[in-house]
Amino acid sequence: MLSRLFGCFILQLNRIRLFAGLPLDAVSGGSVNHFRAISAGLKALKLLGLEGVELPIWWGVVEHESMGKYNWSGYLTIAEMVRKAGLKLNVTLCFHASSQPKIPLPEWVLDIGKTKSNIFFKDRAGKPYRGCLSLAVDELAVLNGKTPMEVYQDFCESFKSAFSAFIGSTITGITMGLGPDGELRYPSHRGFAKSDTVPGAGEFQCYDKNMLHLLKQHAEACGKPKWGLGGPHNAPAYSELPTANTFFKDHGGSWESPYGDFFLSWYSSQLIAHGDRLLSLASSVFSDSAVNIFGKVPLMHSWHGTRSHPSELTAGFYNTATRKGYEEVAEMFARNSCKIILPGMDQSDKYQLKESLSSPESLLAEIGTACKKYGVGISGQNSTVGAPDGLKQIKKNMLSENLNDSFIFQRIGAQFFAPEHFPLFIEFVGKLNQPELHSGNLPTKEGTTTATDSVHTRSNLSIHMQSA
Amino acid sequence: MAAVTIDSLLQNPSLLFRPKAKVLLKPPRSLDCSRNRKLPLSRGSCLCSFNPRRTIHVVRASSSETALIGNFDTSSSDDILYKDIFPVKRIEKVEGKFFIRLDRSKDQHDWQLTVGCSLPGKWILHWGVSYLGDGGSEWDQPPKGMRPPGSIPIKDYAIETPLKKLSEGDIFHEVKIDFNPISEIAAIHFVLKDEETGAWYQHRGMDFKVPLVDYLEDDGNTVGAKRGFGVWSGAVTGQYRIMSQVAYFLVIYRIPSEPTLGDVGALQQFSNVLLKSEASHAGSQNNSIESKDSKNKNRYLEGFYEEQSIVKEVSVGNLVSVAVRKSPETGKVIVCLETDIPGDVVVHWGVCRDDAKIWEIPAAPYPPETTVFKNKALRTLLQPKATGNRSGALFTLDEEHFGFLFVLKLDDNTWLKFKENDFYVPLLGTSNVPGQYGQSDSTSEEISSKSYTDGIINEIRNLVSGLSSEKSQKTKTKEVQESILQEIEQLAAEAYSIFRSSITTVPEEVVSETETTKPAVKISSGTGTGFEILCQGFNWESHKSRRWYMELKEKASEISSLGFTVIWLPPPTESVSPEGYMPKDLYNLNSRYGTIDELKELVKSLHEVGMKVLGDVVLNHRCAHFKNQNGVWNIFGGRLNWDDRAVVADDPHFQGRGNKSSGDNFHAAPNIDHSQEFVRKDLKEWLGWLREEIGYDGWRLDFVRGFWGGYVKDYLEASEPYFAVGEYWDSLSYTYGEMDHNQDSHRQRIVDWINATNGTAGAFDVTTKGILHSALERCEYWRLSDQKGKPPGVVGWWPSRAVTFIENHDTGSTQGHWRFPGGKEMQGYAYILTHPGTPAVFYDHIFSHHRSEIANLISVRNRNGIHCRSLVKIVKAERDVYAAIIDEKVAMKIGPGYYEPPSGSQRWSLALEGRDYKEGCRPSLIILFASAIVVPFFTQKYVGVID
Repeated sequence: MLSRLFGCFILQLNRIRLFAGLPLDAVSGGSVNHFRAISAGLKALKLLGLEGVELPIWWGVVEHESMGKYNWSGYLTIAEMVRKAGLKLNVTLCFHASSQPKIPLPEWVLDIGKTKSNIFFKDRAGKPYRGCLSLAVDELAVLNGKTPMEVYQDFCESFKSAFSAFIGSTITGITMGLGPDGELRYPSHRGFAKSDTVPGAGEFQCYDKNMLHLLKQHAEACGKPKWGLGGPHNAPAYSELPTANTFFKDHGGSWESPYGDFFLSWYSSQLIAHGDRLLSLASSVFSDSAVNIFGKVPLMHSWHGTRSHPSELTAGFYNTATRKGYEEVAEMFARNSCKIILPGMDQSDKYQLKESLSSPESLLAEIGTACKKYGVGISGQNSTVGAPDGLKQIKKNMLSENLNDSFIFQRIGAQFFAPEHFPLFIEFVGKLNQPELHSGNLPTKEGTTTATDSVHTRSNLSIHMQSA
Repeated sequence: MAAVTIDSLLQNPSLLFRPKAKVLLKPPRSLDCSRNRKLPLSRGSCLCSFNPRRTIHVVRASSSETALIGNFDTSSSDDILYKDIFPVKRIEKVEGKFFIRLDRSKDQHDWQLTVGCSLPGKWILHWGVSYLGDGGSEWDQPPKGMRPPGSIPIKDYAIETPLKKLSEGDIFHEVKIDFNPISEIAAIHFVLKDEETGAWYQHRGMDFKVPLVDYLEDDGNTVGAKRGFGVWSGAVTGQYRIMSQVAYFLVIYRIPSEPTLGDVGALQQFSNVLLKSEASHAGSQNNSIESKDSKNKNRYLEGFYEEQSIVKEVSVGNLVSVAVRKSPETGKVIVCLETDIPGDVVVHWGVCRDDAKIWEIPAAPYPPETTVFKNKALRTLLQPKATGNRSGALFTLDEEHFGFLFVLKLDDNTWLKFKENDFYVPLLGTSNVPGQYGQSDSTSEEISSKSYTDGIINEIRNLVSGLSSEKSQKTKTKEVQESILQEIEQLAAEAYSIFRSSITTVPEEVVSETETTKPAVKISSGTGTGFEILCQGFNWESHKSRRWYMELKEKASEISSLGFTVIWLPPPTESVSPEGYMPKDLYNLNSRYGTIDELKELVKSLHEVGMKVLGDVVLNHRCAHFKNQNGVWNIFGGRLNWDDRAVVADDPHFQGRGNKSSGDNFHAAPNIDHSQEFVRKDLKEWLGWLREEIGYDGWRLDFVRGFWGGYVKDYLEASEPYFAVGEYWDSLSYTYGEMDHNQDSHRQRIVDWINATNGTAGAFDVTTKGILHSALERCEYWRLSDQKGKPPGVVGWWPSRAVTFIENHDTGSTQGHWRFPGGKEMQGYAYILTHPGTPAVFYDHIFSHHRSEIANLISVRNRNGIHCRSLVKIVKAERDVYAAIIDEKVAMKIGPGYYEPPSGSQRWSLALEGRDYKEGCRPSLIILFASAIVVPFFTQKYVGVID
């Protein structure tokens, strides 16, 4: 009864459903960590009127020991807790590793990687990235005679049968892990981004044996065998500025040359094909379940102000000042009837380092436009690093057209419930429902769209969602 | 009283060590008289909206300039819980003047040389004289009568005389040397030394020389000559490891506005002195000791006065004071931090919950100009105070915090800590019993969660009342709202306390983390990416086919596929000798190796396969086109039609009219005088042209022994290469025909050269090659460790700048000037390709039966991410075996002796082994496994074996 009253009072989130992410390490081994904290947290979130929670399920936890041996027990416990709390659940199937907290890939996969390091992405220096498998092995039988795609499929099917009691009722969304940090991208940046340093251009990741092989084949097919011997020689290294070498030069850089187009088209198409494989796998496995399938697309907003968009290019998005690269991505999501999760909705242009020519807002708008064109729903997330005035920016995005499905707030834990944060969150939730009171803070254009068109759009989408 | 002590501290900014002054106040009532001012604390806008009542009282001190502590006066001094003053040391540049004056003393008979310096320091003049008729540059001790009081003889050739202030008010430390011009003394020589820092100041890498007779030959280091001062300095840069052992000198041609250091770290340990280049000539008519051109052949001495500005980096003491008080209104703890450090000071801070001092971020609000740093700490820029040169900030914290931790970041990116630790200010212990300082451990979860609860209830109440008034049409009863909010709040508090207690914070050094941006990512011309592997793409015979460029082009992808990232091409210019090392017209790039167009084509193909290309540039000498009037070849033609002023003066064969050479001479061709502005300008243009026109990415610099490294720096800064390496090749040290174990002086010469280039270039590690010769040939593997257990070559001292090699076109190939011991090549490569430094592989070895083994070694290097700065741990350096572990990833051994990597956490597996079919150093032994490289398996860090 209390919650009902409260719901009338604070919450009218019928337009954008609000989720909060559960801790990354909610389960380790077979058991739930911080059980009491999560159950108290779930109740609090329910009282606040949130739609549900997001739960990361790790490949490295469930299929930890050996191939095909799944341990879902901890996650089942949480699903039951969520159901009892009256919340919805969006699960994320994480086929990647986490560095903080440390959750590696399954041990048996790492073991295989010890002798076959080419199952991982490699950079120019030959350093492997152990956070996920290289997309080039998707369909190679490198995992004890099975292809990674088959292993992912087995995982999804096991999940489906283990959670059959929840899918479609408590579980309303499934996010398919697509790469590093679950995102559809190459691991073009390694290590942690530093908030106070200008990020580099990132590096192309086409140097594992299998990627090189694919590149070579492609080059030969194009009649340019010499182009297939390696990645661009004049691309800068990870943390170097794009200007450190000539590939990304704003004018006359190699990215604009026929070779650049050859390489970038190939590099990005490999990534999109990989996304397509995984999302169509998920769509087919869960085709008979009433759930939405999501995939996460990163917001590579550094250097967006240059013509070549180096961060996007190295991450695998062939999106430049002269090419709308996200349309192919949106088209691929549309083809699989999947929705896009976009992180970084708390980032605003004015808090970016000027030197990095970064523009999260305009990139978000670009992706938003591409999604709109193909009718792909967008669910938002905040970035894990946090941002000044982040809640304000999230609210702004939630009230704009950048977002039309749901928002997943990352992530509950000590900091989330801390006295310096939680009241702000309550306030944020409260204000979401009263945009008109604060439209003064917003550009007038957005103020008006909020009141009319976008409400309309969203209601359409929510119908679509319910029928899905 | 405490404040008095502090005043005196402040007036003595150069104090080096100060005991920590702790001031625990029973606050004196007399401080209460300061003016009060209420300032609302600026807060995050969100919070303001529902809690506008909270204010903080900030009280400004009286305008006393010096009493730092005065600024901590508060509205009610009873609230002061804790005060502390931390002395800190930092490095600051101090500018001063330095002069040399020669004038007649008062009686008009004797003359007087005065050397003065206005910088603080313990200055010593280290000097001697030379007599008429002396050849060479040897010093002698001056006659007793010439030595000022306080002089100390140093061995039998020099005198040390301290510089003194004549009176307390004087700015300059001076030393005066009286002498009689009629004496036999030809010149006074000196260098200046700062005993405080141990730094030496020289003139162009040599001593200062004041000639007392006019017909002395000007050999370039004369002071008071027409040129005036050259630009010189005793800068101490680069390798600090060497610095600590050897006082050595460095001459910099052009002093950059900001001193750039070769390696980080040197600065903090050694004072650095730079002399600025603007020499100011006082009284130019007096400035004519000069000589050679003067027709007057009599010994007529004229006075002069020269002055230069000098910059020294000294450590300066500053203070950081902290006061803690409790706000009676809010119950919050306010930390007031202030310092007299000039410039922008950022406080990198956090709080801790217990004695473990683990950093945490406290609850907002934060002071203005605060950013969150990696969720681990906060960064607040101190705001300048209205009075004085101080800055400070106020931090408002909840009372539950145990302590306040911080370090300071200065605007030159240095960090200040307190005696190697974080600064620490206790909070909690003091808050329970105001006025008393002590540790209190009564922080039970209950108390903090109670205060938390109260806090959050207030916040939410404010929120609710705000919301409900805005939406009054939907009013619910106050009671219902309150109860819901209380429920949420209690749940949140419960979740918070559990989550918080289960956080396993990894205690991480906040400061070190920000400093570990180092390895291998920044490209500099001295190192490339740090992961470079060099291929020497020719041998001594390559010119013979006259189509080398085309032949090499065929091999481009093959070479690249072996793992090479950089290739060194032969010298491209027109040359008197077919191999290219006797260049004539620098702009004519048609050579025995092929045409300019073929060269461009080659470079393009090399770029296509991802390699960087080095041009071999010969800057030391150049063959002339024409003879001068004496029939000597020293007039140049072509686009750079220099005359004999471009040729150094001290090689009699070529009768140059330039200055004396700044290095050793190469006697087969006119040596170029790089001290000539026009020469340098032309060479810089030429290098730029090669970069643009041909597409070279960098340089291999021939015979850099021949001219000063400072010029190389100039050329590299102008041509901005991706990578550059110089050939500094001279002989190792031998005693009775046997190579000395200690080759420090040899590698020191190479390091000095690198240093002179300011680290903009690497150098071939000739030392390592020489030592490998002896070690492998004579089975003396113990030579591969120096006295400190490091590699004995340049790679042991300055790995990032060492380009290791075992053979090149001169040492090997068909010349064989210094050939690597036959049959030991793979041991040599096993060494350089597993060790730090940038390895270079010789063409002849790549295209030989060693090829696959070399390829395997390169592959091991790349897969394990070994780079030019990798760490090497020598585990065995015995007669018949050398073994080392690099970056804890690769274990290698060479030599017939036995070695096995340590068992333990690392599992090792064999990556590569080589056999030496030759008979070894001890005929009684059969050596089958001469080299073996072992790669470990271990769980997380493991990096590939051969697939």
